[in-house]
Amino acid sequence: MPLKHTTLITWLMALLLILPIAVGLIGTLLPAFQYFPPLGEHRMAFTPWQNLFAQGEFYASLKLTLITGIVAPVIALWLALSLLAWGYERAFFKKFEALLSPLLAIPHAAIAIGLLFLLSPSGWLVRLFSPWLTGFDRPPNWISVQDPYGLSLIFALVIKEMPYLLFVMLATMKSIQARESLQVCQSLGYSRYTAWRKVLIPQLYPLIRLPIFIVITFSLTVVDLALVIGPNTPSTLAVTLFRWFNDPDLSMRFMASAGAVFLMLSIALVLGGWEMAHYLLSKITRTERSNGKRHGLTDAVLAVGRILGLVTLLSGFVALLLLPVWSLAKRWRFPDALPSQWTFDNLERAAPLLITLTSNTLIIALSATLIACLVSLLMLETKRLIAKGTNQRNNTRAQHHAFDWLIYVPILLPQIGFLFGLHVLLIYLDLNGALSAIIALHLMYVLPYVYLTLKGPYLAYEEEYLRQANRLNHKPWRNYVLIKLAMLKPAIFTAFAIGFSVSIAQYLPTLIAGEGRYSTLTTEAVTQAASGDRKQVGSMALLQAAFPILVFWLALTLPPRWTKWRLAMKMTLKRKTKCSA
Amino acid sequence: MLSVKQFSLSLNGSNLISNLHFDIADGQVLSIMGPSGIGKSSLLHFLSGTLHHGNQVGGLMASGEASLHGVNLNNQATENRKVGLLQQMPLLFPHMSIIENLLFAIPENLHKQDRYASAQQALEKLGIPDKANTLPKALSGGQQARVALLRTLLAKPDYLLLDEPFSKLDPALRRDVRAFVLNEIQQANIPALLVTHDPDDAKAMKGQCIELTSTSI
Repeated sequence: MPLKHTTLITWLMALLLILPIAVGLIGTLLPAFQYFPPLGEHRMAFTPWQNLFAQGEFYASLKLTLITGIVAPVIALWLALSLLAWGYERAFFKKFEALLSPLLAIPHAAIAIGLLFLLSPSGWLVRLFSPWLTGFDRPPNWISVQDPYGLSLIFALVIKEMPYLLFVMLATMKSIQARESLQVCQSLGYSRYTAWRKVLIPQLYPLIRLPIFIVITFSLTVVDLALVIGPNTPSTLAVTLFRWFNDPDLSMRFMASAGAVFLMLSIALVLGGWEMAHYLLSKITRTERSNGKRHGLTDAVLAVGRILGLVTLLSGFVALLLLPVWSLAKRWRFPDALPSQWTFDNLERAAPLLITLTSNTLIIALSATLIACLVSLLMLETKRLIAKGTNQRNNTRAQHHAFDWLIYVPILLPQIGFLFGLHVLLIYLDLNGALSAIIALHLMYVLPYVYLTLKGPYLAYEEEYLRQANRLNHKPWRNYVLIKLAMLKPAIFTAFAIGFSVSIAQYLPTLIAGEGRYSTLTTEAVTQAASGDRKQVGSMALLQAAFPILVFWLALTLPPRWTKWRLAMKMTLKRKTKCSA
Repeated sequence: MLSVKQFSLSLNGSNLISNLHFDIADGQVLSIMGPSGIGKSSLLHFLSGTLHHGNQVGGLMASGEASLHGVNLNNQATENRKVGLLQQMPLLFPHMSIIENLLFAIPENLHKQDRYASAQQALEKLGIPDKANTLPKALSGGQQARVALLRTLLAKPDYLLLDEPFSKLDPALRRDVRAFVLNEIQQANIPALLVTHDPDDAKAMKGQCIELTSTSI
C-alpha cells in the first residue's frame, strides 16, 4: 500500500481502538459510584456498593462464577494437553486436527443448544437408553442441564475451550522443537507422557499463557452460554448483572455497574492467583523433573485426560448433529431414539422469521468482517512500513508495535464490564438501536481475530514481487490489490472466515447496541432456547452453525482453485467471442 | 549511455567503495564482480532509486552521480526512472498465467491488439507459444528466467540492472540463458549492468568487467 503519514495513521488507529473501550469503562465505573447524569445523579456515593454487598444473590452468583470460571479452564487445559501428548505427530492425529476447525467455527450458543438437546432429561442420551435399560416411559425428573452447581455449564465451556486451546498449542509446537525433544526423551527411555510432563509442557506453557487468560476471562464472564445451559436461580454473576442492567427499574443499573466493576476485579485476582498457582506448581515439580524416573504415576492423569477429552469432543459433535434432527422432526415421542416422522414443515413454518433473522445476521457479519479486513490491512501495512524504517536501528520498537498489545484488549475485557457503559455513549450519539451501531460493536470483536490471523502471512510476504510489479508498471494501488492482496488470498480468506464466525456468535453486542430492534440468529436462538419449541430453536441453531461452516469451507476451497478457474473461465469466454465474431 | 561518476559507499563510516567511475554504452553489458558485502547490491539500489545520494539508510551512506544519456538520475524517483531489474528469483506472479505476466509489463497506451501481439511474439521467441495460459510454476527454472527477462524488457526500460540472475540456475542451463540475455539486451539496445560472483557470467557478457576489492582493509 503506498501509504504516507504512517505515524498519524498509527495514532488514529490506536485511538480508535482505545476510545470505545475507555468510554465503556468510564461509563461503567462512574455509575458504580452513583454518578449518572442521564438519571439525574450528580453526586458520587458508595450506595451502589452497599446495595451490592447487601444482596444475597450477589454472593451466590459470585460463588457459581468462580467455580465454573476456574474449573472449566483447568479441565479444558488438562484435556487439551492430554490429547496433544497422546496424538502429537501420529498419523491419525492429522485427521483429528481437521475436525477441530468446525468446532471452533460454530457459535457457542449453537453448541450449547445442541448440548441441551443431548443432556436434558428428555434429551437424546436418556432416549438412547430408554426404556430398555432405564425403564423410563417419560422423561425422568432430573436436573441434568441448568443444574444448580453449574456442571452442565462447565461441560459446555470445556467443549468450546478445549478445541481452541488444542488449536493454539498445535500452532506453537514448531517453535519449541517438540519432535526433536520427544525423540531425545524417548531414546533416553522416557515414556511418552512422562516426556511431555517433564520436558514439553513446561516449555509450552509460557507460549500459551495469553490464550489461557482469554479462556479464563471468557469462562468467568460468558453470558449467552450461561443463559442457555447455566444455572438460573441463582445464575452466574455475568447473567445476574445482565438481568440487573436490563431491569425496568433503572436504579438497578447502579448496583449492576458496581457488580461489573467487581467482576473485572475478580478476573484480575483469578488471573493473578492462576499465575501464582503455576509458579508454585513449577517450583514443586522442578526437582521431580530431573529425578530420572522414566515413568510416573502422574502419567495416568494424562491418560485419563485423553479419554475424557475424546468423550468431550464426541459429545460436541453429537450435540451438533442433533440440531438438524430436531429441525426436521415431525413426531418425536419421548423414548424414541429418532423421530418417527420427518418433515420440512418446521422450516417452512418458521421461514419468514428465519429469513429476517438470517438477513440481519448476514448483513451485520459481512459488513463487520469486510471492514475488519480493510482496517487490518491498513494497520498491518503501517506496522510493516514502520518496522522497515526502524529495523536496523531499533529492533524492539518494530517488534512491540502498539497494535500488537492493544488488539488484545477487547478480547481480554469482559463484555458485561463495558458494553453497558458504551451504550450510554450510543444514546448520546443517537445511535442506539441503529444497525451501524451493531456493526461497530461487532467490529470491535471481529477486528482482533482478523488482525491476528492476517498478521503472520502478511508480514512474511515477499515484498520483492510488489516492487518488481511497480517497476514494470507504475500503478502502486492497483498493484497492491492485483499482486500483493491476490497473492495473499488464502490468508485473507481464512481471516475473513474467522472474523465472520466471530461476528455470527456475538450475543451481547447485538443486543445492547440494537436494543432488541435487530434480532439475529444468535440472539433469537438464545432467547428461545429455554422456551422449549425445540423444532424452531433447532432450526435457528442449525442455521447459526451452518453459515460459519459454509464460509470456512469456501475459505479453504476457493483460494487454491481460484486461478485455475479464472483462467478456465477466461478461455471459455474467449472462445465464445471468437465464434460469434 | 549510463554513466556513474564518483560513486562512493560507506557503512557506519568505513569505506566500502570509493570513487567508482564507469560508462555503459547502449547494447553493452558491464559486469561488476566482488566478494559479498562489498556493496554491489547497494550500487544497484543507488541506480534503481531506492538508495539516494547523501541519504543514510541503516548505516549505509552513498554518494555520487548517475546519469542516463547525460540526464541526471539522482533526483528522480524510482517510478520515473524507467529502470528494469532482474534478480535471482524470477518473481513471476504465481497467480497469473504466463501471458498475463507478460501483458502486465506492456505499456497501456498501446492498442489492445498490439499488446497481445507483442506478448505472443515474446512467447514465440521463447519457443513456448502453447504455454500462454499455463501458470509460471509449470515452467522450468531456465524458462522462468527467460520469461522474467522478456517481461522486464517488454516494459521498455531505459536501462537494465541484473542482480545475479543466473546464480539459481543449473550450470548446464546457465550458458543458454546467458546467451539469450545478452542477445536480448543487444536487440533492445539499452545499457545493462550485471552484478555477479561468477567470472563466467562476466566473460559471457562480452563487455567490460570491473572487479571491486576491499579498500578498507
